Amino acid sequence: MDNERRWYEKAGEAGDVVVSTRVRLARNLRDIPFPSRMNAAQRAESERRVRDALFQSNSPIAGDFDFLQIDAMSEQQAGSLVEKHLISPQFAAHGKGRGVLISKDESISIMVNEEDHVRIQVLREGLALCETAETADRIDTLLNESLHFAFDEELGYLTQCPTNLGTGMRASVMLHLPALAERGALSRIVSNLSKLGLVTRGTYGEGTGITGAMVQLSNQITLGLSETEAVENLRNIAKQLVDAERESRAALLGQIRVQDRIARALGVLQTARLLSGEEFMRLSSEVRFGVTAGMLSGIDLADLNALTASVQPATLSAKAGKALSAEERDVLRAETVRKALRGVA
Amino acid sequence: MLCQHCGEREATTHITSIVNGVMTEQDLCTACAKEQEYTNFFQNMSFDLGDLFGGILGAPKRERQTVRCPECGASFEEIVQSGRIGCANCYRVFHDRLIPQIRRIYGTSKHTGKRPGTSALRIPEPAQPLKVISPLEEKRAAMQKAIETQDFERAAVLRDEIRALEEAEKHG
Ligand SMILES: [Zn+2]
Ligand SMILES: [Zn+2]
Repeated sequence: MDNERRWYEKAGEAGDVVVSTRVRLARNLRDIPFPSRMNAAQRAESERRVRDALFQSNSPIAGDFDFLQIDAMSEQQAGSLVEKHLISPQFAAHGKGRGVLISKDESISIMVNEEDHVRIQVLREGLALCETAETADRIDTLLNESLHFAFDEELGYLTQCPTNLGTGMRASVMLHLPALAERGALSRIVSNLSKLGLVTRGTYGEGTGITGAMVQLSNQITLGLSETEAVENLRNIAKQLVDAERESRAALLGQIRVQDRIARALGVLQTARLLSGEEFMRLSSEVRFGVTAGMLSGIDLADLNALTASVQPATLSAKAGKALSAEERDVLRAETVRKALRGVA
Repeated sequence: MLCQHCGEREATTHITSIVNGVMTEQDLCTACAKEQEYTNFFQNMSFDLGDLFGGILGAPKRERQTVRCPECGASFEEIVQSGRIGCANCYRVFHDRLIPQIRRIYGTSKHTGKRPGTSALRIPEPAQPLKVISPLEEKRAAMQKAIETQDFERAAVLRDEIRALEEAEKHG
């Protein structure tokens, strides 16, 4: 195996605020019903065509991909792919007869027969919207050479859900916004963003506030805006948020209350014997804040990203090679985190 | 916090979105968040209830009138109920009924992005195709030019250089 770090183990541009970038394209075959109306034979047919389109192309990219059958995976392996955003939870849950093409560096996935016949996904560390969208575009062009995707002059690429019509493109960035969250500015920002045609998703934990201050920002409008326009809009907003977050961080870090919270979070992570996924997300958000602000040293953002990816529930179980109980997972998570944060102060 | 839609599963996603100028904020479970995307589109969509109840009320005439997509067999009512379009051809068959809703959601029905066979992001191609020119070829061309312009001194120098390069190539 190569020792190259995966995208989720690296920190990219504006990595202090932007954790990762993702671009997804929805495409369908012209002459086969959309996935919810397909029979088994049609499902097999569309899968065969998509595989052939990639593997029988003359593109050097083809050699980079593996075809993985969800049926042939353990629940933990499939869950781990979900945690790395390579497949959707729905795809993993209804995996029977489904397969996915994944690049060896795990930055590109092509889901077959998900919500649409073809879902191309490209992932990168940090803020990398143009680069990510270009890669998705190239994969689409390559597949279209032999697949002939359903396209209408008026409506663009035709999709099972009309909310993806047009470009079929959903671009998103995962932002870490602890300082804006701390100042209570997040909900105001979020509703302003919605007015600009963007959607935000935050993962909720115990009930109050967004866990770990992680917010996913994505474009909502796929028809009437070109890919370039959508990407530029999103990039501009993301950059503004990066600036606002950085300013807020600088202002907050002088406060002893905030320093205390960061130091305590590190203390718990360095000593805990049981660590739930939710507690990890909440505390590691503080530590991440401390690292980016230069208050903590001994670990960098890339290592923190790698740690976060490695302690997700299914990924932990997949590495252990068996289904772990919740307590076993919490023990293993605490152990992994203690080890990774040993030298941090 | 429980999902605001099903009230059963834990909410994992906070979704704020604007559809047609109306902002909605919701805390949903993953499954409901997914489903919402489909039902949102056909929200407030009215269709002839007669079509739906035609069979029950024993009106076989109406039943026969139901338009179905010849490719996938979907009727418009099935599409509205499931929130899912049946196939690419459905967009043609039910075009007139879908377009008003598409305009309501997007404010337009005109795609302006990528077309098949083109590049979405217009990644600039190098203006001239890159030619790999070896130093030897470069010198041969320069010598030719020197001869043409009767700069024989220069041509002689180049000739010697070319010989040296050819020798070097021969002996690997
Ligand atoms: Zn729900
Ligand atoms: Zn159809």
